[in-house]
Amino acid sequence: MSTFIQTVIVGLRLGSVYALIALGYTMVYGIIRLINFAHGDFIMVGGYTIIFTVPLVLALGLPAWAAVLAAVAVCALVGMGTEIIAYRPVRKKGTNMSALITAIAMSLFLENLAQAIPAIGPNPKVADQIFTAGGFKIGSVTFEYTTVITIVISAVIMIVLYMFTQKTRLGRAMRCVSEDKSAATLMGINVNHTIILTFAIGSALAAVAALMYMAQYPRIYTTLGSDLGIKAFVSAVLGGIGIIPGAVLGGFVVGLFESFTTSYISSSLADAVVFLILIVVLLLKPAGIMGKNVGEKV
Amino acid sequence: MKKLFCLLLALCMVLSLAACGGSASSGSSAPAADSGEEAPASAASGDTLKIGVISPNTGNLAAYGTGIHTGAELAVEEINAAGGILGQQVELVELDDRADPTECLNAFNNLVSQGIGLIIGSATSGATSAITGPANEEEVVIIAPTATADSITTEDDYIFRVCYADSAQGAIAAAYAKTAGFDKVGIVYCAGDVYSSGLKDSFSAACAEQGIEVVATESSAALTTTEYTNQFTAMVNAGVDFVYAPYYYDVIGPYVIPQARAAGYDGVIMGADGYDTTPDYVREADAPAFNNIYWTNHYFAGDTSEKVTSFVAAYKDKFGSEPSAFGATGYDSVYVYKAAIEAAGSADPAAVRDALADTSTVYECVSGTFSFDVSGTPVKGAPVITFKDNGDGTIGMELVDVVEASDLA
Repeated sequence: MSTFIQTVIVGLRLGSVYALIALGYTMVYGIIRLINFAHGDFIMVGGYTIIFTVPLVLALGLPAWAAVLAAVAVCALVGMGTEIIAYRPVRKKGTNMSALITAIAMSLFLENLAQAIPAIGPNPKVADQIFTAGGFKIGSVTFEYTTVITIVISAVIMIVLYMFTQKTRLGRAMRCVSEDKSAATLMGINVNHTIILTFAIGSALAAVAALMYMAQYPRIYTTLGSDLGIKAFVSAVLGGIGIIPGAVLGGFVVGLFESFTTSYISSSLADAVVFLILIVVLLLKPAGIMGKNVGEKV
Repeated sequence: MKKLFCLLLALCMVLSLAACGGSASSGSSAPAADSGEEAPASAASGDTLKIGVISPNTGNLAAYGTGIHTGAELAVEEINAAGGILGQQVELVELDDRADPTECLNAFNNLVSQGIGLIIGSATSGATSAITGPANEEEVVIIAPTATADSITTEDDYIFRVCYADSAQGAIAAAYAKTAGFDKVGIVYCAGDVYSSGLKDSFSAACAEQGIEVVATESSAALTTTEYTNQFTAMVNAGVDFVYAPYYYDVIGPYVIPQARAAGYDGVIMGADGYDTTPDYVREADAPAFNNIYWTNHYFAGDTSEKVTSFVAAYKDKFGSEPSAFGATGYDSVYVYKAAIEAAGSADPAAVRDALADTSTVYECVSGTFSFDVSGTPVKGAPVITFKDNGDGTIGMELVDVVEASDLA
């Protein structure tokens, strides 16, 4: 029983990180139908920002996690900058395919730019302790504070984000743009502003994901984004890309499957099973678990 | 994501084609040049004797590459100051492989196209295994500083190394478990890596010989895996107090050991030479987890033999830090080349290979005094080292035991 609970906890903590990253993919996809491959690299940007600001934050007498505020700001700026400089011009002139290639280029550009900055360089860095070390025991299962905090914060952020898109004017505008850009324009919604806002929120989430990731797995390197990005992207597609609750569900499904495969089947099959689940789900429900099969209007 | 893979694959193909083109052209000019052009080419480049170095200088295992190329540079500086090899000054041509097999092959082709026939490299078995075949085809000598997988060297080939093979390393770990009184052990290893799975195989084989029972074996899928909690929970459930976990420092420091301790596993964790440089990759708060950890290495920096103390002093003098085992093996690789070139009387790769293949030659190196076996792997022992928490957020190292080659036979 204790193995079972431990496995669930590990699955939830992997899943909460995947879910936070998947949210970023899904938000951008939902609004401009672009798979933002650079999203994983925004996490890397956030991670390094946290590493560099933690000493500063500690010097100010604040707890280490406050560095996430700087990371949120930097990531939001990088996200908005990417949209304005790279994606928007390409979207205006090119096709969906050229936008996709731009996203890949942006991802490789960010990774290589980071390597070229002397303070970052190509060698991995180890992050400081971010949350209180230690944990508590219930029965024979250890609950680390970091793990509990990660799961709670992820859950809170997801609920807030969901409420934001459902209840606020800006959130409604986002959903309108996502459904029909020209109709949204006719209704007086500034489409470009809404898209930029989406990028800002999506990238800010990447900064929070970076904090959560580093608290658990304290090593960061420039190609971190591509490693994490694949699983998060799978989560987003599994849950139904473009649908916010779907990304969260997908993230937890991937995390739990990974953890349970490791514990009960074979630890070296963890990745194979995750991708197998993706294929099976897509065969049965091509739009993802929460996706709706919308027939094409003729 | 598929698109990304396609793009990357296409890029790799273009690069490898370019690389093949390079070696093919040098290959096709070789027959005509066998007697004529090649000799002047080495004479033209040639007031200096060029040795290629391939090591992971950047990327996740950069600490290994840094060690190897700084160690080699130190050796070359000493040799040149003392008049060079056969009167020629030595020059190193250093390339980076990021511990990636494809990059390693590209670097190899690059060196071959420059007419370099003596190469030191690379750090990891995975990367090195990509160039052993081509090296035999091109008749280029390779001395691997730290590629320990058993399959790297074979009889009658151009591949040598200055480190022991994993079968020896696994046997030392099993012998250590036996003397420490463990008769039930567990293994956690990476199924997707040559080095880690090779060590797992040799350790389990040695355990069977020693009469130690392996009661639990768990694995991780890839070197990028970050989560090891479930694997160590399984170890706790299996009731073992000794786990063999052959990984590299970049996952040992931040992930494996802190997570193992958090999962409630307090027993011995034993590893191999991949644990070297781990203390630089540990969070301060995790330092208390680093007790009861043992590993086999190529040399111990605190060794009091004259060879080691003078090397450590010279290295500290030049680079300002204590040399890792990779520094020692990089340094040794250059000196083994020097001995072989002097024995052969020329730097011609085939002659150097024949000199190295002489199993009676004894090399006195920082990483031990040894001679090669028929495959080109040294017969030597290893120090067993332990980490200890210094209590101030840093981690120290202590020598536990030195296992001699004769102890294993």
